[in-house]
Amino acid sequence: MDSLLTPLLSYLLLYRYATLAFVVYIGAVGAPLPVNEMLLALGAFASQGYFSFWGSLAIAVVANCLGDFTGYAITRKYGDWILRILHIRKARFFIHLEEELRSDAAITVFTTRFAGSLSSITNLLAGLVKVPFMTFALYDLIANIIEPAVALGIGYIVGNYWNDFSNFFTIVAGIVAVAIIMFVLFRIQRKIAKKYQ
Amino acid sequence: MELKKQPPLGKKIAIALVVFGVLLIVLFVFLVRDYLALRRANLINRRELSLSAFVQKHGPLGASEVGVIRPWMTFDYINRLFNLPKDYLKNQLQISDSHYPNLTLGSYASADKVATVEAVNNVESAISNHFNQSAL
Repeated sequence: MDSLLTPLLSYLLLYRYATLAFVVYIGAVGAPLPVNEMLLALGAFASQGYFSFWGSLAIAVVANCLGDFTGYAITRKYGDWILRILHIRKARFFIHLEEELRSDAAITVFTTRFAGSLSSITNLLAGLVKVPFMTFALYDLIANIIEPAVALGIGYIVGNYWNDFSNFFTIVAGIVAVAIIMFVLFRIQRKIAKKYQ
Repeated sequence: MELKKQPPLGKKIAIALVVFGVLLIVLFVFLVRDYLALRRANLINRRELSLSAFVQKHGPLGASEVGVIRPWMTFDYINRLFNLPKDYLKNQLQISDSHYPNLTLGSYASADKVATVEAVNNVESAISNHFNQSAL
């Protein structure tokens, strides 16, 4: 089992919903934590009556959205200032990702929620390019309901066998993440190609 | 229409797409391998997939399933998992820590200076004894 996951599970059993909220929030801000695996285990704990399924889902959704809003708010307010202070010349890939966000904010925000760490990068870029907050919040919320609901639901169904399914679930999440990254890259490449035609 | 030269970034993205495509294929191979392993372990039933078999497993565990116990689990969780009386493990293992049952097996092992594996074995034995006594 993941070396990060075992202490997280201990804290989850000890401090329950506070751990859930904290870990999901930190994960949404950008920390590389095994949040989906934790939610899978949490679904199993809910099936054993140790947690409330709907309570866990509500907390996961709220914490996930708050984490995403934090990244968005930081760069929306201080993004230009940070770039200026640090003398960072934005990489061209990110400039194109910004363009992608500007032109198709809804679809980019929605799809990247399922793409692992690209989600946190998109939050920061969305704030930087000033994607309207309501657009960002709406699509973020929809995707943030689906993602933890799937993880919790699978955990709930497989119950005591969640650990056997953990690896399988991680691979499925990886496939989804890679497919979405490819989708975003493909759209960026198509736009670049169009520009140069 | 005259075509402008494709910028290097476009080429880099094309290469990245190929790399991610290969990664996707590798992940699919792993997925199939994992799926077959789960089927071999009889954890996925083709007809009933998960629901019927797994939903039935949501009750408390029995003596034959003590192998699921891990050091990260708390005594409170283990009590719930096996439907044990709250102080059963405390009495059996003579745990004096005031945090019981909100205490992980790992913490109990390190506080009592016993190997984690031994602590897990002790808990497994205690639970097996509980079920044996209940069966009598």
